[in-house]
Amino acid sequence: MAKILIVDDSALSRRRLRSILESAAHTVIEAEEGMIAIEKYFLERPDVVLLDLIMRGMFGIEVLKKLRQMDPQAKVVVATADIQTSTQTIVLEEGATSFVTKPFVPEQILMAVNSALEV
Amino acid sequence: MLLTEKQNDALSELINIAFARTAAALSSLSGHRVLLEAPTIDAYGIDELPEVVGTFMREEVATVHQIFTGPVSGDALLLLNYDGAVMLTDLLCEHQRASRRLDASSQEALTEVGNILLNACLGVFGNLLKVHVSFSMPRLHLESLDQLLRSITIGSEELRYSVIVSTAFRVKASSVSGYLVIILGVSSLDRLLRAIEIWEEDQKG
Repeated sequence: MAKILIVDDSALSRRRLRSILESAAHTVIEAEEGMIAIEKYFLERPDVVLLDLIMRGMFGIEVLKKLRQMDPQAKVVVATADIQTSTQTIVLEEGATSFVTKPFVPEQILMAVNSALEV
Repeated sequence: MLLTEKQNDALSELINIAFARTAAALSSLSGHRVLLEAPTIDAYGIDELPEVVGTFMREEVATVHQIFTGPVSGDALLLLNYDGAVMLTDLLCEHQRASRRLDASSQEALTEVGNILLNACLGVFGNLLKVHVSFSMPRLHLESLDQLLRSITIGSEELRYSVIVSTAFRVKASSVSGYLVIILGVSSLDRLLRAIEIWEEDQKG
């Protein structure tokens, strides 16, 4: 199974995602802010990143841009409370693999992760 | 009142859709059915704001505040009765035993709940009206509502008037109840109404 990096400043959301991903036998690592996420990405080399957008410190869109600049193959699923279609368009243009919204639905999360792994 | 009957009707329909999306998100988070009251839309002078919003909830309140910016900008508030906020976070955090106060972990969880609910509501505005709004970090306030509202109004010259869109909700089978409040200045309201007119035309096909 895959190694997934969860990037979210909310412990509640990280716990929820961890539970969903571990139920499918994925290995989970976590980062609660953008700079730590970038460090962990290059140290741990996860297969997929699940990335929140509205975070303290570096916003998710900046994290996405940095990751894709440094590793154009980075597979990033944006997982956010922002349900706007325009936001989805922006993050997909920036190279996100897919876009899922909160509250998290386990089937949607696992489908997004599986699709990212197949890219 | 700043709105014509037709504008009020169109705005009410939009708010209904947005608040229904919010209720669905809360229901999904809490695992309980959420009951919504019909939303109300009213315009007030900015000085009246603390008094008006203060009448929604007279007891101790936990408030999540999020600023949104873009073609339509303003302040969105999720007001929860304090005991209900404690109960809601107990449900979400799966505490071993019921708590009486919001500890650091509960406060963090409640802020995320506010983020999800306020985004669910305002995101519907963005999607239906085809405008993009950006969100600030949500902030939880446990101090008096009056103090928070004064901090919103100070320094905003544009905010001579505000439109308050509010609805009461209740999580069935629990004592969680609250209000969603959106505060807009007049120019944002004007842009919102223009976008709604376009949306209305689109609905007619």
